[in-house]
Amino acid sequence: MVLDVNSLVDADAGLISRRIFIEDEIYQEELERIFARCWLFLCHESQIPNPGDFLTTYMGEDSVLVIRDTSGKIGAFLNVCAHRGNRLCRADNGNASAFTCAYHGWTYGNNGDLQGVPNLKDAYYDDLDRTKWSLIPVAQLDTYKGLVFATFDNNAPSLIDYLGEMAWYLDCFFDRREGGVEVVGGVHKWIIPCNWKLPAENFGGDAYHVAWNHLSALTSGFTQAPAARQTLGGGTISPGNGHCILAVGADDYAAAPVEIIQEYEESIRAETVERLGPRLLKMTPNVGTLFPHMSFLRGSSRSFRVWHPKGPDKIEVISCQFVDKAAPPEVKEALRVTGLRAFGPSGVLEQDDMDNWEECTRINRGAVTRRYALNYQMGLGHDSFDDGLGGWSSDFRISDSNPRHFYRRWASLMQADTWDQV
Amino acid sequence: MKDETLREVEQFLYKEARLLDSRRFSEWLELLSDDLRYWMPTRSNRYPVNSKAISILDASRYEEEEVSGEDELALMEETKDTLERRVARLDTGMAWAEDPPSRTRHIITNIEVEAADSADQLRVYSNFVMYRNRSETDQDFYVGSREDVLRREGGRLRISSRKIILDQNVLLAKNLSNFF
Repeated sequence: MVLDVNSLVDADAGLISRRIFIEDEIYQEELERIFARCWLFLCHESQIPNPGDFLTTYMGEDSVLVIRDTSGKIGAFLNVCAHRGNRLCRADNGNASAFTCAYHGWTYGNNGDLQGVPNLKDAYYDDLDRTKWSLIPVAQLDTYKGLVFATFDNNAPSLIDYLGEMAWYLDCFFDRREGGVEVVGGVHKWIIPCNWKLPAENFGGDAYHVAWNHLSALTSGFTQAPAARQTLGGGTISPGNGHCILAVGADDYAAAPVEIIQEYEESIRAETVERLGPRLLKMTPNVGTLFPHMSFLRGSSRSFRVWHPKGPDKIEVISCQFVDKAAPPEVKEALRVTGLRAFGPSGVLEQDDMDNWEECTRINRGAVTRRYALNYQMGLGHDSFDDGLGGWSSDFRISDSNPRHFYRRWASLMQADTWDQV
Repeated sequence: MKDETLREVEQFLYKEARLLDSRRFSEWLELLSDDLRYWMPTRSNRYPVNSKAISILDASRYEEEEVSGEDELALMEETKDTLERRVARLDTGMAWAEDPPSRTRHIITNIEVEAADSADQLRVYSNFVMYRNRSETDQDFYVGSREDVLRREGGRLRISSRKIILDQNVLLAKNLSNFF
């Protein structure tokens, strides 16, 4: 199918077609052109700290096994037995020197090598080149400040180039103090019947919905209203390549209204400014989306999550909490419990988001509804490139500037046959 | 356990279910002790140590337990205070996940009552099926078990602890906006 992408996304006019949130033909192209090419987030290194540690996740709809091998090197492979294509590992995580397929017993080492094939001598007559039937590895794997990423595309730019200016913004979440962050044990995994782009653009660019959609959580004391904070400025920042950041004012710590957390933020303020540089005096990044579908926040919860696509109208969220490694234990505990009450399936903020994203997806089944473009025109013409911030920035803290950059990148990838054309 | 106590506990749990399903949340809160611990951990898929699907490299560190620990992420980890705030939120007219509200039905079964650590407490096990229907055709089945500690306070039973084990790995519902 040849998609007329220009008829779907007109970022300059702030018009986005509803078709991209519901049509399977477009979704199949996304799996190929976005998820099989972009750098995708796998996990944080602290989730697999020791040799043999592994976890399973997804890259697009592809099941992926991420393993720290016996030598300590991290690898990622399609979680698929090379023989009959059975799903190899059925555990969420664990520790292994080798994995054995439940179907016929082919065994792979934790570096992906095919080690054992039952009946190799008698049934295969020793005539099987095991080196050709290893687990299929990702094309490139790299880490940034403990965050592990991979791509299925040999021709994708390097991770650091893909991140670009976004790298500094990631530091504001994951490398504020010496030692970076560590992940709290356990994950939240749940299904939302919505298109993956809705939560991605929400975390990346929707400062608008907070004061209305989440007002009930603000007034019942689970978080603080931006208007109630002593804050000046803040804004939306697009550091390039479709990545998106939302920021509150520099004097706002973007932390839950819990005394011990606020005091902690106060106590490390000078240290973080010293570490991250004077740009931090302009604003405090508090939410973001790394294109295409990894989002993170550092406000009422400190969470990173991936919106794994499961069809045009369904996602599986895998969400974790992180804390500064150098934080005292009582602060880590306060962040854990405060965070899970705000974000996650039962989170008093997040539970209301899910409902909106579901309805924003399902309503597009209407053929006539689908003819009408969505409005992304807020702040059109009121954003500009800010050298100090290293990205496109909106004049006012609420704007559709970030989603316009997100969908411009989406459209570019959906049309480009090579990375040179992106 | 005396038959009279069993009946009392059953009736207590059935009444609690009726209050929840009729959205009488303020009355439900009165059944909870002030020092309530209300906890729904997550469930992992993990190979048991004797599984032949993997060869464990570091057996000394291998974690077989599938229920998340107390210092890990939970699906819910509430106190009386946070549950009161959740109920207050429902009354704001802006709790969108419950506006319009879910239709819920708590089916409580397999009730067992044991003596607990002190004479004024009972340990109560039960299973639940919680059906949630919402909007036009949305439906969710939450199935699991509960382990409660009930305490006699001023002649009335109150829930002082509730551990809720949900039988799902990936939560199949889009959210958890109801009580268990």
